[in-house]
Formats: sequence, C-alpha cells, structure tokens
Amino acid sequence: MSIDLLIALITGAALFGVGIYGALSQTNLVMIMMGVELILAGAMVNLVAFWRYLHPDNPAGQMFVLIIMTVMAIEMAVGFGVAIARFRAKGSVEMEEAVELKG
Amino acid sequence: MNLIAIAILAPFSMMVLILTLRRIPAVLALFGAAVGLIASSGLLSSAFSGTNSELLLPGLPDMPLHLVATPLTALLSTMVAVISSMVLVYAVGYMQQDKEKTRFFATMLLFISAMQTLVLAGDWVLLLSAWELIGLSSYLLIGFWYQRAGVKSAATRAFLYTRSADLGLYIAAFILIDNAGSSDIATTLGTGGNAAVVAGLLLLVAAMGKSAQTPLHDWLQGAMAGPTPVSALLHSATLVAAGAILLIRTAPMLPPETLLVIGIVGGITTVITGLIALGERDLKRMLAASTSSQYGLMLLAIGAGIPLAALLHLIAHAAIKSSLFLGAGVFQHSRESTALVDLQGAGRDRPRIFFGFALAAFALAGIPPLSGFFSKDAIIAATLASPDAMLLATFALTGTLLTGAYMARALHILWRGEKQTREIAGLQWMGAGLAVLVILAAILGFTFTTIETLLNNHLDESTLAQILGLSAALSGLALGWFIPAKRLLGPLRPWAQQSFAITGGFDVWLVKPAFAIARSCEQVERGLYATVLAIGRLGLRLGLAARFSDERGIDGLIFSLVNNTIELGNRARTLQSGLIHREMAITVVGTAFILVSALLALLVY
Repeated sequence: MSIDLLIALITGAALFGVGIYGALSQTNLVMIMMGVELILAGAMVNLVAFWRYLHPDNPAGQMFVLIIMTVMAIEMAVGFGVAIARFRAKGSVEMEEAVELKG
Repeated sequence: MNLIAIAILAPFSMMVLILTLRRIPAVLALFGAAVGLIASSGLLSSAFSGTNSELLLPGLPDMPLHLVATPLTALLSTMVAVISSMVLVYAVGYMQQDKEKTRFFATMLLFISAMQTLVLAGDWVLLLSAWELIGLSSYLLIGFWYQRAGVKSAATRAFLYTRSADLGLYIAAFILIDNAGSSDIATTLGTGGNAAVVAGLLLLVAAMGKSAQTPLHDWLQGAMAGPTPVSALLHSATLVAAGAILLIRTAPMLPPETLLVIGIVGGITTVITGLIALGERDLKRMLAASTSSQYGLMLLAIGAGIPLAALLHLIAHAAIKSSLFLGAGVFQHSRESTALVDLQGAGRDRPRIFFGFALAAFALAGIPPLSGFFSKDAIIAATLASPDAMLLATFALTGTLLTGAYMARALHILWRGEKQTREIAGLQWMGAGLAVLVILAAILGFTFTTIETLLNNHLDESTLAQILGLSAALSGLALGWFIPAKRLLGPLRPWAQQSFAITGGFDVWLVKPAFAIARSCEQVERGLYATVLAIGRLGLRLGLAARFSDERGIDGLIFSLVNNTIELGNRARTLQSGLIHREMAITVVGTAFILVSALLALLVY
C-alpha cells in the first residue's frame, strides 16, 4: 500500500467526518444538505483512490463515480426544491420547526 | 284538340279548379260535365260517320297507353256523360243544404273522369288504373257522410269486397298481356285456348265484385249509405256497370265454358237479389238489390252469347235506375228517411215525381213501349237462342217476374198511405235532372235499332220472347201490387231479409278462419314477446350479478389492500418523531454499530 493511497484515504475520512458533523449539528435544511454532500464526497474520494492506486486499468470504478455524481446532482435538485417550497410556505427552512410534516 | 282528351280532362280540370278555388263548386261541376257531354256526343257522332278516333300516349316501352273511341266505347262514354250530367243537375238541388259541397262535387268529377277513362281505355294498363280510380272515388263517395254511424264501415266493406275481386282483373290482364305480347285490348281479344278460359273466369270474378253479383252482392246495399246522387250515378249506372262493360268488351274472346259460368252466375244473382229486393225494408237498399238483379240479367245475356243484348239493357238500365234513385232521393228528402215504413204514401206528396218514378219502374219491369221492354226482350230472346236455353231462359224469366213484383211492391207502398206536405229545398233542380232521365228511360227503346246499326250487329226478333217476357212482367207486377211481400215470399222471407245469409256465410267461411289465424298469430307473437322479455331479464340478472361480484369481490379485495396499506402507513408514521436530527443521529449510530460489528466479525474469523 503506497503512501499516496494512505493520504487519499485520510482525506476522504476527514471529509466524511466533517460531513457527518455538519449534517448532525446544523438545523438549517441547506446546511444539512451541505453535510450530506460532504459525506458523499468523502466516500467518492475513497472510491477514486482505490481505483487509481489498486486497479487503474478497470474502467468500472470511473463509471461508478460518474454515476454517483449524477445521483448527487439529482439529490441536490430535489433537496433544494423542497427547501424552496418550504421557504415559500413558511418563510424559513429551520428543521426544528418542520415537525408537523410528520402528519 | 282530341275530343277524347276533352271528355276526360273537362271533368278532371274542373275538379282541380274546384279544389283550388273552393268556391261555386256546383257551377264548375255542371260546366265540366256539360263540356264532357259535348265532347262525348262529338265522339258518338263521329262514330256514326264511321271514323274511329284514337289518342296515343307515351307509356311503358312497347306498351303505349291509348284511348280509343270505337262505336262501342263512344256509346258508353256518351251514356256515362249524359247520366252524370243529369245526376249532377239533380245533385245541385239535393246537396243544397249540405255544408261540404266542394268535397262532394270534386269527388263526383274525379269519378266521372275516371269512368270516362275506363270506358275509352284502349289498353289494359289504362283500364286497370281507371278501374282503381273508380274504386277509390266510390270509396270516398260512399263514405261521404263519414261522421254518421255505420257509414265508414259500409265504405270499407264496399272497398274490401271490390278490391278482393279486383285481383281477378289484375291476374287476367297479366295473363292476356303475357299471351298476346301487347297491352292493347283489341289485340288481346285474339287469345284462345286455356288462357282464354282462365282469363275469362278471372275477369268474371272482377266483374262479380264490381257489378255486385252473388256471392259478392252484399256491399252494394251497404253502399246506399252514401248520398242519393252517388247511388244514382255510381251504384246503378256507371261504377257497377264497369263489371258488365268489362265482360261486354272482352266477350269476343270468351270461350263457351266461361260463357256458361257467366250465365249461371248472372242467373243465380238475378234470382237471389230479386228475392232480397222483394224482402227489403228500405227503398234505396231495395233499389240496390234490384241493381244487382238487373246486372245478373246482363250477365245472363253475355253468357247466352249475345253481349249486344246486355249492352242494350245496360244503357236502358242506366237511365231507368238513375231515375228511380233520383225519385227515391226526392222521397227521402220529403220524409227524411228511406225506410219503406216511413215512405208510405210519399208518392202522394209529389205526384209528378211519383209519376216519373212509376214510369221508370214500369220501364224496368219491361212494359212496352218503355225502354226496358226492348232490352229485356232482347235478353230473353238471347237466352232462348242459347244452347242452354232451358236453364238460362228460366233464370231470365224468373228475374223478369221478380223485377215486376218488387217494383210493383215499391209503387204500392209509395202510393198507399197518408199524404204529407213538406217544402223541399232545390226541388226544381232535382225535378229537372229526374225529368230528363225519365224521358230517356221511356224513349231509349226506340234508339236501339240505331245502336244496332251503329255497332254493325243485329238482334233477332222473337215473338215467343216478347210474349213470355211481357207475361212474366205483368204477372210480376200484379203479384207485387196485390199480394203483400210477406205472403209472396213465404218461408223465404227471413232468409231474403238477411241477404240469404251469404254475409253470414262469409263470416263463417272467411272471417272466422281469418280471425282464428290472427288469434294464433297473436299467440305466437305473445310467446315471442315473452321469450324476448325473459332473455332480457336473464341479461339483467347477469348484469346485476356481475355488478355484485365487481363491487363486493374485486373492488372489495383492492380496497381492503388499500385500506390495510393506509393502516400500516398510519402505524409506521407514529414510529417517527419528525425531527430530522434525531433520525439522522440514530442512522449514523446504527450504521456505525453495524460497521463495527462487521469489522469485529472479520477480525474474529
């Protein structure tokens, strides 16, 4: 295992940790989503690192990352859509106040 | 312009004018009839000078419609024109109080033009259409007072009787046209063999219907429900004559077998309807029965092989019977009834009318020198000369005897009784029409030799026939005058008054089976109806069952699935807090726990 791979994995883990902290500590929907994005980004860094340093000749890793990026974009669109709808209806996107969505 | 066209179109155009103007119908009708009369007389005079005029019209391919004025048809056309003009003159007075003169005169004119077409027709197609037209106008005229009770059924009865007999004419015409390859009547008269026998018998059926011969005589008495001028014109002189005219015109074609049948039918009719006339309780109905009887005599003459005698009697009878009817119409107006009981002594009210009536009655009975004497004499001579003289002459003499008897009976009843005086509106018109016809009835006999030369035919004189005829007529008159009909008819009287139950016979033989068929058809129909309804009900049941299974079965299943899902969702919802952070923290902790335990498991193995 090369040192480069180790550095990449550490970076991914750091990103993942920051993401989880952000998602759990924030009450604003936009900030929570930022955290979720960071979690995903950390996981992707791990994936890319493993592909780059262990199986650089297998294109499946690359493709997988591209698909995840697409899914991320869609997830962002949906999430921000919900946020905008919530903002228009209530004037805020604070999740502490969104308990009534439970129904 | 051709006189034939004028004779037909003058009445017809006046009818159209009456129907469009709806004013002065009597004047227009008289004008139309007069122009028609002039045209017909013109035809007759040109026939005397030996020229036959003809009018060719476009018709079916190779079968042109054409009208011919031979001596015979010109003579008949003149007869129709004279009688109809006089009856119209009479009708002006008779219908003075009626509100629907327009309809009356228009229909009369329609009839006159149709009748002219019938007698002048030179081919079968035109003859058939004219035949239909006179049937229609007869129906309309019998039913003229359709609001009165029984009139509608009388008109329908007359129509049905004649219509069913008309089938004979149709089939006969088709047979003849098919055989000769031409619709020209003169050409088809060359038909011989079996076709001639069959066609002749079918023509006889048609003639029996129109000329009211036994057993189809019943409608004519019912037809008396119409106004009296209608009875005088249609049901004595013209419409009824159509049957006899048909046979006279086709007589050259008829084979001996058919002639014998015609003679027997005529003979039976003249006796039976003579007896009916003797037992009748209504003056007009009596005259109607007498009409059937006289046409029976004409058929006898045709059957004896001498249609000229029938033609002479037809012409004489037309004048005589229309004058009798016109006289009866005056009596009807003076007593508001035609029942013989009410008419007792009606002759005394109007001696001059009664004189005319009596003159016509004597003419009908066959007293010289009145017209009926000559024509009856010709008929009796014809029957005596025929191969079946015994049978036919007996019929003819019995008919003559009965004629004398019922005419004398009528005169007796009209003369014996109380005199009543009542003003009759329009008597001058009625008197004028009647006078001309009575004069004709009296003197027509002297024109017979002229007619014989015109038709290029000659009748043999027979002293035996004259003696027999005159004695039969005189004894008939004596019987009728001195012996009441009750005793004269004896046990036959109730029969005669019911038309010898021939109508009853129709009821049993035709009407009841027809009703039975109708009833069974109705049963079948009802069965079909019930079956269809049952099928419909079954379908309805099936539909209901399908709806039930749909609503309770399939819908129930799906809705229970849906409800259970909703229930499940409701339960699952309560598990949640709705706080994203808490849920997310639980997720992270749970995932971490799973990862750690997975790592530990990896390390252990």
